[in-house]
Amino acid sequence: MALLEVHGLTRHFGGVSAVSDLSFSVNEGEILGLIGPNGAGKTTVFNLVTGFIRPLAGAIRLDGQSVVGLRPHAVARRGIARTFQIVKPFPGLSALENVTLAAFLRHPARRDAEAAATAQLTRVGLGGRLNEIASRLTLMDQKRLEMAKALATRPRLLLLDEPMGGLNATEVDDASDLVRQIRASGVTVVLVEHVMKAIMRISDRVVVMNQGEKIAEGHPKRVVEEPAVLAAYFGKRVA
Amino acid sequence: MKRRHLPALLGVAVLIAIPLSIRNSFFLHVCILILMWTVLGAAWNVLGGFAGQVSFGHAALFAVGAYTTIILYLKGGLAPWWGIPLGGLAAALVSVPIGLLCFRLRGPYFALATLAVAEIVKLVALNWESVTAGSVGYLITTLPSVRLFGLSVNWEAKTPFYAAAVALAVVALLTTGWLRNSRLGAYLVAIRENEDAAEAVGIDTVRAKVVTLALSAFLAGMGGGFYAFYFRYVDPDAVAGIGLSMEMVFIAVVGGLGTVGGPLIGAVFLTAVAELVRDRFQMGHLIFYGLFMMLVIRFMPEGIWGRVRRLTAGATAGA
Repeated sequence: MALLEVHGLTRHFGGVSAVSDLSFSVNEGEILGLIGPNGAGKTTVFNLVTGFIRPLAGAIRLDGQSVVGLRPHAVARRGIARTFQIVKPFPGLSALENVTLAAFLRHPARRDAEAAATAQLTRVGLGGRLNEIASRLTLMDQKRLEMAKALATRPRLLLLDEPMGGLNATEVDDASDLVRQIRASGVTVVLVEHVMKAIMRISDRVVVMNQGEKIAEGHPKRVVEEPAVLAAYFGKRVA
Repeated sequence: MKRRHLPALLGVAVLIAIPLSIRNSFFLHVCILILMWTVLGAAWNVLGGFAGQVSFGHAALFAVGAYTTIILYLKGGLAPWWGIPLGGLAAALVSVPIGLLCFRLRGPYFALATLAVAEIVKLVALNWESVTAGSVGYLITTLPSVRLFGLSVNWEAKTPFYAAAVALAVVALLTTGWLRNSRLGAYLVAIRENEDAAEAVGIDTVRAKVVTLALSAFLAGMGGGFYAFYFRYVDPDAVAGIGLSMEMVFIAVVGGLGTVGGPLIGAVFLTAVAELVRDRFQMGHLIFYGLFMMLVIRFMPEGIWGRVRRLTAGATAGA
């Protein structure tokens, strides 16, 4: 059975339909790429799944159980974690404090939470910057911090919103390796990303969105050759 | 941890020594005011300083405590040591629906909502005459005759009130100290830093804020109860005015937001400044008070206590 099932998901903002009648599923243990041109509604999907925005219609099920209507903290408790496209650290706190706050979800005792947080920070490569104030970290490190925070909630499903945006080529490679390694540890990943090289390399499957709708789905190599996808990205003449 | 508590404990120890060494009743009165403001500043600080939820309506909670305590005494004969905690409890109960309502709003909208709540409470106090005696208010003429350690307590002296004020201030500061080291305290800091990010990592932000408001209300309500017994007079203007709400904000800000000792320091400075300039300048003393506020905020945005702590932390780190 699929870990996450999304069916008929719909949300408008005023007259603009951000997501309309969107259905897809994520299998346990896979890396699913969610791609599409700017404004396609990818981030809105994340906001809907994690409870930051309520859908007007549709179903979202984790392991067969509906998460529609739950507030974000309750969704996190069920096992869905997310990162934000524009990173949202707790800016005035240290990296360790940032991740400890997330680790409290599974470790009520501070000492346990700090140990778990240290482990996650080491995993994402921030082991040497535990006491650095979050707002002083580089963008790459803030993205790593974002991931460590999400992982510290011990998710079953991790939604990554452009973890590679703004990174250079080496950093993209590092981030790709990290995402693969997260999957290898048993966490299912949905990845919104514009860096096509990374998407092609690490996704098992991709779902392509345009103007709030799903226009294609399947193996990354084949999907990018579909006329609808080419039309969405480059215009109809190219396709 | 223990060492960081030391200055606050030292301050309280000094305050305990004061009535034993100085027998000037005006001076003792100022000390009582300082301690009362410490409680109120601490009440505001747990919500405003730690959770970053700026309330302009804490007078409402103070008023609930003051009215509860004075009504329980005048109509039910309930002694202060029961009445004051019950006043705190009443304020905490009232704060829960207020919190559930106002915390739907964020930032400046929350602040405005609390301002509106305080005005509503004041209007209720003015108009619900069967319970609050309206604008006439309540007056305590006699306090209960009590014997403590074989001596009857002299209510005309300042000392019993001073002792009560010290007890309340210690409770308020210990509560703040506990909060700072607790998981709830950590959640509040997360909420202050970024509310969305806090939710995203599984923190129930609404619950954390409502619980904290109730805690804050309990302290503010006890402050109100103490006020009722000390000044022996409660009416809507005295206990539900916007000036009172503002004063609580000022004390927490001047002392140092989100610190344990801040409210005590803020209360010492602001009460001292207020009394000094009131003495010198009959007219316009509030101008000097305001000027002092502005100077502190301009040059010490982290508050007096916050600045001192940062400097001492730097000194020990450098040593």
